[in-house]
Amino acid sequence: MKRKINRSLGGTIALFLFIALVGAFMALPLIFTVNNAFKPLDEFFLFPPRFWVRNPTTNNFADLFILMAESWVPFSRYILNSIFITGAGTFGHVIIAAAAAYPLAKHEFKGKAVLFSIVVLSLMFSPQVTAIPNYMVITLLGFNNTYAALIVPAFAFSLGLYLMKQFMEQIPDSLLESAQIDGASEYRTFFSIVMPNVKPAWLTLAILMFQQLWGNTGGMFIRSEQLRPLNFALLLITQGGVPARAGASAAVGLIIMSVPITFFIISQSSIIETMTTSGMKE
Amino acid sequence: MRKRGKFSLSLRGREAMLGYMFIMPWLIGFIVFFLANYLHTLRMSVSSVDMVAAGGYDLSFSGLENFRHIFTEHATFTRVFVESMLGILVDIPLIIFFSLFIALLLNRKFKMRGIVRAVFFLPVIMASAAITNAIEQSLLMVMGGLTTMPPEMQQTTGLSVQSIAVLLANFGLPLQIIQYIIGAVARVYEIVRASGVQILIFLAALQSVPTSLYEVAFIEGSTPYEAFWKITLPIISPLIVTNVVYTVVDRYVTSAVVDMAYESAFLHWSFGVSAAMSVVSSVAVLLLLLMVCGFISKFAFYHT
Repeated sequence: MKRKINRSLGGTIALFLFIALVGAFMALPLIFTVNNAFKPLDEFFLFPPRFWVRNPTTNNFADLFILMAESWVPFSRYILNSIFITGAGTFGHVIIAAAAAYPLAKHEFKGKAVLFSIVVLSLMFSPQVTAIPNYMVITLLGFNNTYAALIVPAFAFSLGLYLMKQFMEQIPDSLLESAQIDGASEYRTFFSIVMPNVKPAWLTLAILMFQQLWGNTGGMFIRSEQLRPLNFALLLITQGGVPARAGASAAVGLIIMSVPITFFIISQSSIIETMTTSGMKE
Repeated sequence: MRKRGKFSLSLRGREAMLGYMFIMPWLIGFIVFFLANYLHTLRMSVSSVDMVAAGGYDLSFSGLENFRHIFTEHATFTRVFVESMLGILVDIPLIIFFSLFIALLLNRKFKMRGIVRAVFFLPVIMASAAITNAIEQSLLMVMGGLTTMPPEMQQTTGLSVQSIAVLLANFGLPLQIIQYIIGAVARVYEIVRASGVQILIFLAALQSVPTSLYEVAFIEGSTPYEAFWKITLPIISPLIVTNVVYTVVDRYVTSAVVDMAYESAFLHWSFGVSAAMSVVSSVAVLLLLLMVCGFISKFAFYHT
C-alpha cells in the first residue's frame, strides 16, 4: 500500500522551506495576537513597538475575567448563546444543504436544471446589498430579536448546496444502484452511502459555516442583552476604555480566535482518508 | 418488498417525488430568505426610492433611470466596475494554481499536518468581522493610535513591484505580460489570503481520489509526475470548476464595486442607484462566470 516515492533530499528540503515560509507569513497575525495577549501593560506602549513579548503575564486574562464578572447578564449566558447559534446553524445547514444536493446531483426530475441555475445565480448576490429586504423578511416572519434570525437563514445558504452537489456528482452511480438493489431506501442510501462518501466535503462545509456563525455579533437583529452572542459581549469590553483595556482586548482576540481554530483542527484530523475510497471499486 | 399505496406512481415518478422531498426544506428557506430579497433588489433598481418622514420608503417606477444614472452621470462607477471585473479575471488563475499547489503539498503525510493545515486556513478565520475588530483594537493601541501597518505593507510591495517591472522591461518582454506579472506580485498577499477555502476544497477533492488507481499506476511503472497529470488532475477537474465558481463569488463579494453599492445605499441613501449597481455587477459577474466555466468544463472529466 505505502509506496516510497523517490525524491531527492534537496527537493524535499525546498518544499519544506516553501511551506514553512508561506506558513510563517500566514501565521504572523496569530503569533502577534498570542504575544499581545500575554504582554504586560507597560510593554503595550513601548516605542518602537515590540513584536515579541518580554515578560509574559496572565494579567490580561485576569483583567478580562474581572470585566466579565461585572456584566449584568451572566457571562455564561453569552457563551451558551454563541454555542447554540453556531451549533444549530452549522448542523442544520449541513443536513439541509446535503439533502437538497443529493437529488440535484443524482436524480432526474422536472425543474432540476432551472433549480440549479437559480442556485448558481444566487451566489452572485452579496449579503450587504440585500440587507434591507432581508431585514424586512426577518421582521415579517417574527424572527426579529430571536435566535432564529441568525440560525434559520443560515440553513438556506446556497453556497453549501452548490459545494455538496459538486462533490456528490463524483460518487459513481453504480454504487448507489447496488445499494438500491440490496434494498436500501433513499434515506438509507443517503445516510449510509452518500454522506460517508462525501465526508471531506461536509466537514469542509461545517468548518465554513462554523466560522461564519461564530464570527457573528448579532448585528441589527438581536437587541435583547440575554440573547446576544459572545462576540458582541467581548467586543463591548474591548471598546470600553482605550488605554486601560489594551491587555483585555488582546486577550479577547485570542479567545475569539481559538475556538474556530480548534474546531478546524479537530474536524480536519477526523477525516480518515482511505475510508472515502473503500466503496468505490468499479 | 416495497408496498405500493393507493396512489401508485411509476418508478420515475416516485424518484421525482423523493427528489422534491429532499430538496423541499432547503427550497422553502431559500425562497423566503433569499429569492424574495433578490426580487426586491431587482424592483428597487427600476424604481426611485423616496424616504418617507413617517419611516420606511416609497417605491415609484422610474424605468431605466437608475441604470442611465450610474453609467452616464456617476463619477466613478464605470471605472470601479471595470477594474473589479478585470481584477476577478486576473485573480482566478493565480488563486487556483496557488491553492492547488498548496493542497497537493498539504495532502502528504507529515507530522503535525492538522496544525499546518490550520495555519493555511487562518486567513479565513481572521477575516471574520469580530476577530479583525478585536485585533485592530489592540493593534491600534500598540501603534499609539496610528494604523501604520497597512500603508507600510503597500509601500514595500510597491517598491519591489517597481524593481521587477524595470527588470522585466530589460528582458524585452511584451507589456501585457509584464503588466500581468506586476499585478500578480502586487496581489501576492491578497492571493495568499484569499486561498484558504479553495485549499480546503482541493484537499477534500484529493481525498476522494481512489488510492487503488495510484497503486495500479505505480505497478505499471508510472512516475509521480505522470500520476499527477493522468490520475489526480482529471479526477479533481470537476472541482477545479467548483473552485473557480467559489473564487469568482468570493472575490466579487469583497470587491470594490460591491463596497460602492453598499456605500451608495447606506452613506448616500440612494437605494435605487445602489440596487442598480448591484444588479449590473451581478449580471456581469454571472456572464464572466459562464464564460470561464464553459472554457474549463471542456477539459473537465466526469465519471459518467
